[in-house]
Amino acid sequence: MNTFKNGKFNLSGESLTDNFELLTKALDASISGIIITDNNQPDNPIVYCNKAFELISGYQRSEIIGHNCRFLQKDDRAQAARQEISDCVKNGMECRVEIRNYRKNGDLFWNELYMSPVKDKSGQITHFIGVQNDITTRKKAEQDLRQQKDLMEKKIDERTAELRDSEAFLSSIIQTVRESLLVLDPQFNVLSANDHFLKTFKVTAEETVGKHLYELGNHQWDIPQLKELLMKILPTNNPVVDFEVEHDFPHIGRKLMLLNAYRVELEGQYKDQILLAIEDITDRREIERRKDDFLSIASHELKTPLTTIKGYIQALQRMVSTEAGDRFRTTLDKVAVYVERLNNLIAELLDVSRIQSGNIELHKTFFNFDAMVGETIDAMQISTPSHHFALKGSTKALIEGDESHLIQVINNLLSNAVKYSPESKEIFIHLSRVSEYVKVSVTDYGLGISPEDQKKVFERFFRVGDVQERFPGMGIGLYICDQIIKNHKGTLWVESNKGEGSTFSFTLPIGGGNTNGN
Amino acid sequence: MEIKKILVCDDDEGILDMLALILEETGHEILVERNSLNVLSIIEAQSPDLILLDLWMPVISGDQLLKSIRSNPRMHNLPVIVISASRDGRKIAEHAGASAYIAKPFDYQELIDTVETCLGSYAK
Repeated sequence: MNTFKNGKFNLSGESLTDNFELLTKALDASISGIIITDNNQPDNPIVYCNKAFELISGYQRSEIIGHNCRFLQKDDRAQAARQEISDCVKNGMECRVEIRNYRKNGDLFWNELYMSPVKDKSGQITHFIGVQNDITTRKKAEQDLRQQKDLMEKKIDERTAELRDSEAFLSSIIQTVRESLLVLDPQFNVLSANDHFLKTFKVTAEETVGKHLYELGNHQWDIPQLKELLMKILPTNNPVVDFEVEHDFPHIGRKLMLLNAYRVELEGQYKDQILLAIEDITDRREIERRKDDFLSIASHELKTPLTTIKGYIQALQRMVSTEAGDRFRTTLDKVAVYVERLNNLIAELLDVSRIQSGNIELHKTFFNFDAMVGETIDAMQISTPSHHFALKGSTKALIEGDESHLIQVINNLLSNAVKYSPESKEIFIHLSRVSEYVKVSVTDYGLGISPEDQKKVFERFFRVGDVQERFPGMGIGLYICDQIIKNHKGTLWVESNKGEGSTFSFTLPIGGGNTNGN
Repeated sequence: MEIKKILVCDDDEGILDMLALILEETGHEILVERNSLNVLSIIEAQSPDLILLDLWMPVISGDQLLKSIRSNPRMHNLPVIVISASRDGRKIAEHAGASAYIAKPFDYQELIDTVETCLGSYAK
């Protein structure tokens, strides 16, 4: 107790004992657990512990004094911190460790232990002082934080992988499509080109990516129509769809291309980049042309013998003497009807071919619309005694259009009405004038068309499924009608309820749609 | 009725026979020719009053022949009815200078009427 004598602990107490008690109270007031072990006794027993140590450990002083500190670890002996402590004890050094300890009731607490040796004059270690703090809460927070961090990292890894996956997926789509795709920066430099582009235009990625579009392949992409698309049309019409460009490339020859261009408007790293999809339709056009030629020749060749047959039949009909029997006459008339049907089928085939190649030709003249409709109905009435056609209303309009094509439309609507209303005998035709249009409606009370089929009846080769067997046909009549009416700037539509009949209506602009309703 | 001379040229024998049969009903004289190459010389030799001409014919097509007729001062006024099954027949015929056009297959009465109209408006 030299320190006492030296006056360092000469507190305000009357005596040494007073001062000692004061110090003891101070130790007991500490929130850190404090113990002293005696290094001169075997197994370093605890010779002192303060109140806080009792509180932290849950043991009473009587259960603590005389024990080695290791009782605090219970069975949890294999801790790296224990080795550290025992090394320090052996070498007489200070140490600070975090170690798992257990309260008397078995609860785990994290103990931050600061241990320092006490040496005598000769340098021999006499005691160790251990200061302990319960850092369970801090430890738990640290652990939570670490777990959170691990979780975040895992999620980030997952998201990164997802992004990488979807990027790889997107790029595999881009590489797989059978269409050439270019991505351009706002100055029309190529940022990327897909495999199909490289293959179609016989270039490598090195020759393409990073180069200006117009300079590609020794300026062979310096195409006036393409410049017009990118510089004039796209800035005000985004996206541009089905823009046709024809160009003679030095190495690969003449190409007919259909372009779609899209400028990215979304704010962000891709803004103002341009996606350019190029479809090579050279071959397709050639095939269409050949098919067109074929149909044209085929119909010509079919019509030639048909013309002969029709001519002879009409000659025969005129030659029949008045004495000839009715059976002979009606038989001949029937032949004439079926020849006419064959002729119509051939004409329809040719019409489809023309419409598809965009070659529908209108021979427009001005004609009296009501008279045309009336005559068409009269002719149909003669050849269709099974049904009665009732015409109501009038338009009193002069129409500019292709009269024979419009007759074809009305004939088609009338014969459809007859064909699909075998049980009902009445067909109504209504003419009216609506605004600057004439309107024709043909109503039957036959089978009707379901809502889903109504959308499709104007498609090419579409046949309403359940009537296919009972009512044969090619399924092109309404498609042709629709195209004819569209070519006259009018509209054809259907209103129908299944089982109740159908009304097909079309409108045509008076004056051919060129006079703005005057 | 004054009997006129009508020359019919079509490479298809069936059509030719049938046209001859129908046109004979009109009482006019009908000349038929399958080979379009011979038409110009027949016109020179026979002086027909009307020609019925097919379009798609081998060696010389109907429109080529029609153009030759129209550019020949000795026959440029001759009425020529083009009769064809070709999809662009009407346009081609008008362009070549046809007096009238009939699409195949035609209607009996349409043929007779067109023939009489063309004959009536033509004076040698």
